[in-house]
Amino acid sequence: MALTLLRGIRTQALFRANAGLFCTTRLSPLARFTTRVESVQTTNPKTAPKSIQQAAKEAAEQKMQGFEAVIGIETHVQLSTITKAFCSCPYDYGSQPNSTVCPTCMGHPGTLPVLNAKVVECAVKLALALNCEISMTSKFDRKQYFYPDLPKGYQISQFDIPIADKGYIDLDLPVEFGGGHRRFGVTRVHMEEDAGKLLHSESGNYSQVDLNRAGVPLLEIVSEPDMRTGIEAAEYGAEVQRLVRYLGVGNGNMQEGSLRCDVNVSVRPIGQSEFGTKVEIKNMNSFNEISRAIDYEISRQIHLHKESQADQIVQETRLWDESSQKTFTMRKKEGLADYRYFPEPDLAEVVLTSEYIDEIRNSLPELPEAKRRRYENMGLSMQDVIFLANDDNVAHFFDSTLEHGADAKLAANWIMGDMTAYLKDEKLSIHESKLTPLELSEMIASIKNGTISGKIAKEIADPGAIGAMVDKVLADNPKQLKQYRAGKTKLQGYFAGQVMKASKGKASPVLLNKILGEKLKGN
Amino acid sequence: MLSAAASAIPRLRCAAPPRQASSRTQWSLLWRRPLSSSPNVAPAAAAASGPGALEPPDLPRLAKSARISLSPQEAEEFAPKIQQVVDCSLELALYDIENKPEREGLRKKDNSLMNYLHTAVGSSLREDKAEPFANRDAIIEALPSYDDPYIKVPRVLNSE
Repeated sequence: MALTLLRGIRTQALFRANAGLFCTTRLSPLARFTTRVESVQTTNPKTAPKSIQQAAKEAAEQKMQGFEAVIGIETHVQLSTITKAFCSCPYDYGSQPNSTVCPTCMGHPGTLPVLNAKVVECAVKLALALNCEISMTSKFDRKQYFYPDLPKGYQISQFDIPIADKGYIDLDLPVEFGGGHRRFGVTRVHMEEDAGKLLHSESGNYSQVDLNRAGVPLLEIVSEPDMRTGIEAAEYGAEVQRLVRYLGVGNGNMQEGSLRCDVNVSVRPIGQSEFGTKVEIKNMNSFNEISRAIDYEISRQIHLHKESQADQIVQETRLWDESSQKTFTMRKKEGLADYRYFPEPDLAEVVLTSEYIDEIRNSLPELPEAKRRRYENMGLSMQDVIFLANDDNVAHFFDSTLEHGADAKLAANWIMGDMTAYLKDEKLSIHESKLTPLELSEMIASIKNGTISGKIAKEIADPGAIGAMVDKVLADNPKQLKQYRAGKTKLQGYFAGQVMKASKGKASPVLLNKILGEKLKGN
Repeated sequence: MLSAAASAIPRLRCAAPPRQASSRTQWSLLWRRPLSSSPNVAPAAAAASGPGALEPPDLPRLAKSARISLSPQEAEEFAPKIQQVVDCSLELALYDIENKPEREGLRKKDNSLMNYLHTAVGSSLREDKAEPFANRDAIIEALPSYDDPYIKVPRVLNSE
């Protein structure tokens, strides 16, 4: 900050010196800068430049027209246990329909559910990561309704005594949306089972059911209505996904359906304490869609308020349509559902001991929030912090590199820049990369003490990879190879050029010529 | 069609053995609320009118929710029997377990039901180990309507 001010002052002085005639102002040249200093000092030096952030905030406020939105999210996380929740059927996404089924998950008479111990473990893990209070005893209930994908006619869930409640989640909003830290409450976490899949045929008056997914364990996370914008809601969803992946309890893929979010949106005039009518939105398949659907719904509701048609906002379920970028009413249901909850008589209470919980607490990995704070304290920018902590594998690679003594900022730059680009090109994930953390840290050290230049470090120095490319070039150019053998040794340059081309200019020239020489001699 | 089943419901004796206070208190607190989660039942009214004074079961509505067809005559026959079940459950829930001395010997008795209900984590749970069901063909055969590889169902499940 000081640097910019200094620069500003210098140019101003220069301007005055060169353009004396144009200097009409009577004010001291520093007066303009005094006010700027005052306002700059009040902002957090780590966030985006004040003018952009302030402008974005003002634009958002203007759009809201005196209203604020109240948003809550219900998230269903499919657990990646080997077997289903209440029977020993395996579950694999993409299996042949109706192949991973048994009488229990198909709801045949006389079958009984038996709870999978791993489900309880995953529930406790996630509840601890969400800072919840864990219920030492909880129970299952039957949620009864009729639908073709619900074989038993009821879903085994937890109604009034869930396994965990009263938690919260900490996250950082992306820098490009203004950044900032947020804490959102988590009302409850409970265990339940998934239903099968229902497919509607295009023509005809029948539908098709695949019960592979029936009985797969789910954790339902209900948030407090603490979110206020589409971005906050999307980031909440992303943080839940991050947690689920960090803990290894699920793969959190929205596209696959292993992470599903239903959103509740209402608006109210700023200052009003009562909530407005809430509308549920379904059918969002990515975090971007969640953000856009919420923003659309907020403006739809504000618009109705402004047109004095607030009574047009009814408590209903709307579907997000990605193609038209709008929400639409679902078929109007007949009245509210009566689920006739009662305690599941076929299942015992889930009783936990403090030793069990402590054991799980001690086995938790470092969570994203803790990582972000640790990286922030290293002096990395928020953008770097958010990137590195986003994927557990990347964070682990980064930490390993630091363990070998590399400088944090340099390691971050390498990982975020060249490594990420390379991995994307080669379609690899970071733990498949041939460059190990130790090698990266050594490379950084070499650059730092001047042994090699940054440019050289970017070269491919893997003899195996170069050797393979050389073999291919030689195989692709038999005519030239024959000529070389006949005595035209200058062709070595030609081959070298071809290999360089194949490696997109990245092969180390020294290593290339060495390997090429050996291979040409050898053959 | 349900009269045969109806007459088979035994008379329930409402005296229950005293239970360990632990988590039972939580459950008995539950029962003080209306049994149905339906918004139609006003919780305040039901609780205020004192024990045993829940509104009588609305049998036609119950039957509709459960998708069971009942003739008016069957509904009339069933109503008092269901009322009996409700009354008995209430009596169980209101049974005073707070002021009874804790009976240490209860757990050690060979009362399999008690052992089943008071299990710690690990005993009524199963290991996360796959055991694919061996006789899938029998399941497929038992399906009323199969459209390989899917189960064929009516498009909409109305109460009609």
